[in-house]
Formats: sequence, C-alpha cells, structure tokens
Amino acid sequence: MLEIRDIHKSFSGEEVLKGIDFKVDKGEVIAVIGPSGSGKTTLLRCISFLEKADKGTIIFDGYTHEMGTISNRDIKKIRMRMGYVFQNFNLFSNMTVFENVMEGLTTARGIERNTARSKTIDVLEKVGMIDKAEYYPGEISGGQQQRVAIARAIAPDPDVILFDEPTSALDPELTGEVLDVMKRLAKEGTTMVVVTHEMGFAMDVASRITFMENGMVVEEGTSREFFSSPKEDRSRQFIRRIMRECEYTI
Amino acid sequence: MSERLIGILTDSFVKILIPGIKVTIPLTMLSFAFSFVLGLALALVQVADIKVLRQFARFYIWVFRGTPLIVQLFIIFFGLPSIGITLDAFPSAVIAFGMNLGAYNAEVFRSSIQAIPQGQMEAAFMIGLSYPTTMRRIILPQSFPIAFPSLFNNLISLLKDTSLASSITVIELFTTAQQIAARTYEPFALYCEAAVIYLFFSTFLTWLQSFLEAKLVWKSKPVTDAGKNRAILG
Repeated sequence: MLEIRDIHKSFSGEEVLKGIDFKVDKGEVIAVIGPSGSGKTTLLRCISFLEKADKGTIIFDGYTHEMGTISNRDIKKIRMRMGYVFQNFNLFSNMTVFENVMEGLTTARGIERNTARSKTIDVLEKVGMIDKAEYYPGEISGGQQQRVAIARAIAPDPDVILFDEPTSALDPELTGEVLDVMKRLAKEGTTMVVVTHEMGFAMDVASRITFMENGMVVEEGTSREFFSSPKEDRSRQFIRRIMRECEYTI
Repeated sequence: MSERLIGILTDSFVKILIPGIKVTIPLTMLSFAFSFVLGLALALVQVADIKVLRQFARFYIWVFRGTPLIVQLFIIFFGLPSIGITLDAFPSAVIAFGMNLGAYNAEVFRSSIQAIPQGQMEAAFMIGLSYPTTMRRIILPQSFPIAFPSLFNNLISLLKDTSLASSITVIELFTTAQQIAARTYEPFALYCEAAVIYLFFSTFLTWLQSFLEAKLVWKSKPVTDAGKNRAILG
C-alpha cells in the first residue's frame, strides 16, 4: 500500500539515509527500531515530506512519485491519506481538544459540520478524551495530549498512520495510556508505522520490525523472527543490549 | 497665574482638543491600519520565503527604518509634486506614517510568527492544511497575542509622531497649539497644554492596551482548569 524505494537524504553533506527500501501492507504494524541517530525519524519525515528526500521513489495509493521532484499538490494529496503523530504532540495551542480534531475534517477536507462533529466525538471516545473536549492543550497532561493527537490523526480515516517516537517525550508513568490506545488501534487493523524505543510494544504489537543503523536497514522481518532468531550480528547485539536494560529496570 | 492666562488656556483647550479628535485621532487610526496591513504583508512574504518578495521586504525595511520620519514626510508631500504626483497634506501624512510604521510592524509580525514552534506548522500540514490556511488558522492566531504588546507600543508612538504632520500643513492638534501660541505669545503654557492633551490620548491607549491584553492572554493561554468552567461540547 505504501512503498519507498532507495531513499537518500543528506544534512549538510552528511548522509543520514543511505538508500532505504521500505514497504507497508494494509493492516500491518511496523516498528522501526534502532539506536539514536540511525535515521528512523528522518525516514518518517521523508515519507511524510516534512523533509524533502534528495532521491527516492514513493508508491502510494497506486501512484508513483519521485520524492526529489514531487509537486506540492501531490504532497498534499498524499498527506490527506496519511496520519502523523509527533513526539511532541504538536496540538494546536489556539484550539480546544475538540477543535483540534475537527480542523482536519472541516477546514482541510470540507466535511460537513455535523458529520465532522459525530466523527470527532467517536474518535475522542475511542482515545478516552471526550471528557476533556473543551480543554485547551495547555490544560491537559502530556499523555492526554498525545491521545488527542492520535485522535486527530485517525479522525479522517487515513490509510496509514506514522508515529514518530510517540512516547519519548512523556513521563514513564504516562507512556502506558498512549501505548494502550495504540495497541487498540493495531487490533482494529489500523496500518501503522511506529518509530519507537519501546521494545515491549515492538514485540507485542508490531507485526514486522525494521531495524536501522547508520542510515541503512540492517534487518527486516516479522516481529517473532527478529526477536527470537535475528539474522544479523548487529541485530543480535542490539537485542541483547536492550534485554539487559530491561533487566535493569525490573 | 494671571487671569488672562487662565482665560487663554480654557479658551484654547477646546480649540486644541477638537482638531485632536477630528484630525490627530483619525490620522493615527488610518496610518496604523495601513501600517498593520503593510507590516503583515511584509512579514508574510519574508516567512514564506518567496525569494524576490523577501528581498524587496528586506530592502523596504532597511530604507524606511534607516531614514528619519520627517524626511519621508517631506519627500512625499513636498518632493513628489516635482515628479508630477501631488497629494493633499492629510493623505500624504497617512501614507508617510503608514509606510514608515509598516516597516517596524513588519519586524514585529515576523518575529512573532517565528516565535511559534515549527511543530505547529508541521502538524497543520499533516492534517492536510495548505500553507495559506495554516497561516490563517494556526500560526497567525497564535502569533498575534505575541505581537500585540509591541504593535500597541508602536500605535502609541505613532499617536505622538503624528505631531510631525504639522510640518506639512496638516491642521492637527499640535498645529493648532502652535497657531494659538503664536497669536497669544504664550508658547510655554500652550505647548504644555498640547502635551497634556497628548497625554490624555496616550493614557487612554495604555489603559486600552492592558484591558485588551488581559482578554487576549486568557483566550490564547487559558489558565489551568479554566476548561472545567466551559460547557462540554458547546
């Protein structure tokens, strides 16, 4: 459904994505993991055109586009069918929770107000935030803000939702409520790409794992394969280190 | 104080106040409205990074901030007729003040727009808003409360600067004070009187500023738990 081929991206001469191929099928949950600076977030930002890739091809919804030369119109068309959840939530601080979710439906997509309202109520109920509908983002906790941000992303029924480290900016005790919402979405068959450091989530929820390092995909496979019998040395090392960290926290 | 002087002062108070209300205030409001629109436009082309327009905006701001206001007034009122453009004194003043303050307001708007975290714009793009809609719905509503105090500060400066219009024959508050001072030979008393009237006006604006600011702050950054008092789902 979404496919990326040979994507390259450099920041001031330093190549952070060195030719990555990436593919998501409908209903899949892909966890993109790897050490800091491996290019995970940059990959997500290039897929959503928040960064312009130097080179690469995107195949989405049956259309093929060159990422270096794609027009703004095509970018907007792709974004209309994509949800994005940011590390720092980025809720619109001049709008209430309810308005934050409504905006993408009414202003961006021209959906009639009453339809948009009932959709907004639906998704806010789904993330358990309907009680705070009239609050401003500054009045609710980080975990609550992120749940609203998820509601905002899913409200237009996008084909795929990209999550950029959705729990990294949260206090440890608030990550649970966000991960729970994401698990529920995964169960319902939402197509998701999740850049994450939460290995528990990657193991339990993700159907496939993409392990990145130094701007390249080191290993790619189903979640079970990856964690039980990784093929690459580097993956094995990474998993061993992560598992050791888990022991520390227990 | 002699009875004659008291008579002159009470007599002239209304005579100065009337052109103050009829000319100084409209001149201030019109010039400010012009500078507001112009400043916003100059700021928007800069942050949108439209290359040619951005360079034009930088050039414009460089020129208008770098030259004295009175010189700009003289160029428009006394200078332009020699190249065939003749304007009345009042519109000349509106144009000069508006163009001058536009350069300052452009910087106020630009910095207030740039103060909004980049993530707000990215989030707007990702829910499918276009650049202009993002500006209108997300960025400007958030940057306006930031710009507001500086804009109002510029408005108060403008109110006082309109006295310079007396130098291009606009009959406003200060011109009237000058005329009466010349007639009565009481410059000290009359210029003090003019100062007091300006002070009335600017005091009112200062009060208006704190009144409006209190409202703006509440709307843009509600205090914790304010939402509780609002009805759920309207």
